[in-house]
Amino acid sequence: MTAEVPLVQPAAPTEVGPAGDRGRTIRRAIAYVFLVGYAILMLIPFAWQVITSFKTDQDALRLTIIPDPFTLQGWETGFLTLNPSIPQLFLNSTIVAVGVTISNLVLASMAGYAFARLRFPGREIFFLAILGTLMIPDQLRFVPVYLIERQLGLITREPQNYLGVVLVLAIEAQQLFLMRQYFLSIPRDLEEAAKIDGAGFFTTFLRVMLPLATPALAAVAILAFQGAWNGFFWPLLILQDQSHWTLPLGLFQFTQEFLTFWPALMSVTVAAILPILVIYIFFQRYFVASVAATGVKG
Amino acid sequence: MTAGTASRGVRGERRAEMITGFALIAIPMVIYATMFFGAMIYAAYISLWRWGLRGAREFLGFENYEDILSDAIFWKAVTNTVHYVVLWVPLTMALGLFLAVIVNQKLRGQTFFRAAFYFPTLASSAAITVVWIFLLQPDGLFNGIREAIGLSPLFEALGFGPNHNWLGNSATALNSVIALNVWTTSGTVMLFYLTFLQTIGREIYEAAAIDGAGTWQAFRRITFPLLRPAHFFVATLLLIGGFKLFDQAIIAGGRGGEPNNSLTTIVLFIYRAAITDSEFGYAAAVGLVLFVLIFSLTLLQRRLFGQAPSW
Repeated sequence: MTAEVPLVQPAAPTEVGPAGDRGRTIRRAIAYVFLVGYAILMLIPFAWQVITSFKTDQDALRLTIIPDPFTLQGWETGFLTLNPSIPQLFLNSTIVAVGVTISNLVLASMAGYAFARLRFPGREIFFLAILGTLMIPDQLRFVPVYLIERQLGLITREPQNYLGVVLVLAIEAQQLFLMRQYFLSIPRDLEEAAKIDGAGFFTTFLRVMLPLATPALAAVAILAFQGAWNGFFWPLLILQDQSHWTLPLGLFQFTQEFLTFWPALMSVTVAAILPILVIYIFFQRYFVASVAATGVKG
Repeated sequence: MTAGTASRGVRGERRAEMITGFALIAIPMVIYATMFFGAMIYAAYISLWRWGLRGAREFLGFENYEDILSDAIFWKAVTNTVHYVVLWVPLTMALGLFLAVIVNQKLRGQTFFRAAFYFPTLASSAAITVVWIFLLQPDGLFNGIREAIGLSPLFEALGFGPNHNWLGNSATALNSVIALNVWTTSGTVMLFYLTFLQTIGREIYEAAAIDGAGTWQAFRRITFPLLRPAHFFVATLLLIGGFKLFDQAIIAGGRGGEPNNSLTTIVLFIYRAAITDSEFGYAAAVGLVLFVLIFSLTLLQRRLFGQAPSW
């Protein structure tokens, strides 16, 4: 038996009754024209970026849709000439994002379970404190965090530099809330059964509760990965060596240095956006469900 | 089994539960204690000092805070940030609401449109900003398209030549970033409004239709007022987000917030004070001032709405 609780409620049907009157038809036509128009408008920047990545530097300044000549020069520059190259940037982004994802999965599920199920003194106060961290935005704690990480030796040119970024994002309050909420929704009988069989609290968590929480774990993994992959602020502060730059940080630095090699720059932007687009296409419902939790990016 | 062993068993289990509980929350709590609460106390402490990375430190008392008041660039940053918030918040709300109302109708492809309009929020802000910079180049696509569809006379009348450098001109740089963020954030706002819209019953519209109300009237007299809680919720959320503007500003304007500090926001100002100038005490002081501001806004939001509504 599995106690799967859906993360996303299906959207309620919004219209009743037959469509017939002229007013509604006209309204619909207008709505379609707008929707299609706006969708095309939204597509243009993305399309233009892909098109430009296949143009030559001179051709990139012309407003033609078909690259003439079609060339892989931009991508070649991105893969071979840029320092760090696209594969290196991609690897760095992956290291940071996977580190953040694993850390959030482990820590949020453990703490989420404790807050949902275990009784220990100070539980409410600890939970309130975590709620309180939401009041302290990253943009305001970076000065002391930067100095603390310096003291810890994480602001460095050595590989532990990655750890500096992962540490800041290691356990995001939203992910902890998400896990706690999900554990609260699982019926208690299953744990009781495990306990009667003599399992301890940790075993119950690991063997019974964690497998039941797969949908929530998937949501945490996807959201944490997306956030860390796109992250710009902390990498900018913490990653010292060029060889550690992530895709967003590389894009920033390249933009400051050479604004004219558009095809190469656009190839990097494609590399930065594409993985998230793929994840979004497959796991859309998780993102939509999380809007409430994650709020608005600055 | 005697009563004694049973109660010892229960006590033992209680202890095990307690220890497991503490063990499971230990690492997150240490991280929160140092990287959030400890960090803020640390920031308050160093804000009273001249605090560089090396060299002598000097106790200043509240001098850093006094210096803020007479720092022209700080006020430029405040002006820019307020300018940003004042335009970005209502424009994003308007576009988001508009999209939500349209997408809320039962239309073919509704799911696709929702998904497409939301995507810019999820894509890398750095990548989107770089694409935006490219589009807004003097000889870029935006200027090309407005020329091609005959809008240039209109822009000419407003004082923008055919090759206007949108991000390179201090009069238009900030507004160009606003346009970018209205576009990307409106998807999130649309989703917020959609969830609220779906709580409004159909019956009320049918009643209005019987009374002869048109589409626009129904929107103005029913939908818009009924969305009041949503307006407040979205407005405070955007307000808080707006004061944190950084990524797009530094990518488009560099560390200097070019041109001419027109893209220097409060957070960029703090970043520069800390990382470029190594004036950590001063940076911490500015950070705390902004913290108090955002904290009050957050409290206001929580007071008005409690926790984020669950959907």
